[in-house]
Formats: sequence, structure tokens, C-alpha cells
Amino acid sequence: MLTWVIYDIVKDKPRTQVARLCQRAGIMRVQYSVFLGDLNANEIDELGLQIKALINEETDRVYIFPMCKEDFSKVRLLGQAFDKKLITNEIRELFL
Amino acid sequence: MESLNHEPVTLTPSEVLEYLFCPRYIYFMNVLGIPQREEKRYKVLRGREVHREKQIRNRAYLRKKLGVLKREFNVYLSAPRHHLRGQIDEVLTLADGSMAPLDYKFAEWKERLYRGYRTQLVLYGLLIQENYGKPVNRGFLVYTRSQNHVVAVEITPQDYKKAVEILRAILDITRHGFLPRRTTAKNRCLDCCYKNICV
Repeated sequence: MLTWVIYDIVKDKPRTQVARLCQRAGIMRVQYSVFLGDLNANEIDELGLQIKALINEETDRVYIFPMCKEDFSKVRLLGQAFDKKLITNEIRELFL
Repeated sequence: MESLNHEPVTLTPSEVLEYLFCPRYIYFMNVLGIPQREEKRYKVLRGREVHREKQIRNRAYLRKKLGVLKREFNVYLSAPRHHLRGQIDEVLTLADGSMAPLDYKFAEWKERLYRGYRTQLVLYGLLIQENYGKPVNRGFLVYTRSQNHVVAVEITPQDYKKAVEILRAILDITRHGFLPRRTTAKNRCLDCCYKNICV
């Protein structure tokens, strides 16, 4: 399931830790505090629990949005946006 | 020397849970000896933490609503007759003279009882019956991620019969070492730790 992880975390340390967790979960950083990638239901649940343990629930905001492929195909990207094919695993390897 | 096939094998309710998830788990774990490495999974570690906490907190609290007279914590029991052993989170003595297992789950209550959890309780019930000689006709599950929601599960003689049949099927795989059919639920494969080696 394509999943967006969007966060607004006040303190530097948990913010860095959340970014690292997202990277470790195998999703891609598409903007400074926005990650996107394919995760299954258990991976989403696990990532949510891990993030919850790090953040301050009084001050921080984290959104985890699962999105169906159909809706993702309707997403419009402008400017220096990410490559849709990279996210949906249409391109599996990248040679530069 | 005695053949390995005749060594006494004992199973744990957790193994039964894995078997119900997919019969091939037993093949990979017990026959090929490939570990799951579940200790690397965050949810497993958190679940263990919750178990540790539960042992310390509310030790004296008896669930009066459920008719609990006595609680025993982390009771390790075995039933060699059924090739079964396991550790029960709590063994409860109830007011009606029966006993019941109570198991903590680091999970959310999703308005339905999964077969694996149910069978696990039935096996705990079997262990209690064998060791304490008291009837066990219900068990309890505590869902720690849903504000410790308690679900009471009725256990019938039919359930015990089915559980023993499942145990026999698992022993069969372990002793004869054949590759069983994988689960028909394809979505389970998505998150399986053996998906890379399961053909």
C-alpha cells in the first residue's frame, strides 16, 4: 500500500530519528519532512508504533496516510517533484 | 543409537499459532532449523516489554467481575501426553470452581477473535486441566493496545478435540520432515519472514 508519512516535529533529535526510521522502513524522502513508499499493513502499524514512542504527543504532528494506487495515479506533480515510477516500484534499479 | 525421529518432541502454543498462520513455518523452524529472528521485530520487542510491565503492575488486583479468586503469574506447565509445554501469562482460579488461562496480547481488539488466539487459549486450557485436574471451560484475552480490553472465550470439549488434532498434524510435520502446503491466504506471505526461501 502506498503510504505517505508527513511530520512536523519540534525537537531535532526525535525528528532525525523519525526520518531514520522511515528510511529504514524502505520509503523514500520526497520532501524534507515527507516520506512516501510502499508498505504493507504490518509495516505501517510497526512504523506508527515506533514513531509514537519517539515523538512528544503534546507538541508534534505526524500523519500516516495510506493511499490506493488509483488515487495515486491522479496525483499531480509540479516543479522539482519526485518521479512517480520510482515510488510505485516501476523502476526497480537506478543506474546513473 | 535411537533415531532422532523417536526423540520426545514437545510443542508450544506459540508454535501452534505459527502453524495456523502457515503450516510451512513449522517446516522451516522445526525441520530445517531456520530461526524466525522475531527478536528483531519491533512489535515483538514491545510486546515483551508490555508482558514484563504487566507482571509488576497490579499484582494484587483480582478481576472480581470475572469471578477471579486467585491469580498465578507466568506458570510453566507441560503435558507430555499431548507433547505440549508452555508458559501461561496468568492462571486464574474462578469462583465457580473452574480455572482459566489469561493471555496478554500486544494487539488491538478488532471486533473479531482470530483462530490462532483462540487455539492458543484452548491449549493453555489443556495444560491447566492436565496439571491442576480442574475443568477449564473458558479463557481470557487482554488486548493491551485497546485499553486492556478483555475478551472472554468459551472453550468447549469440541475445541479441545480440534486442538489435539492440530498438535498431531504439527508433530507429523516435525517427525517426518515433509514440506506442507502453504497457507491459502496470500496476504500472509507479504509479511512472512520466510518469503524469500519459500518456493
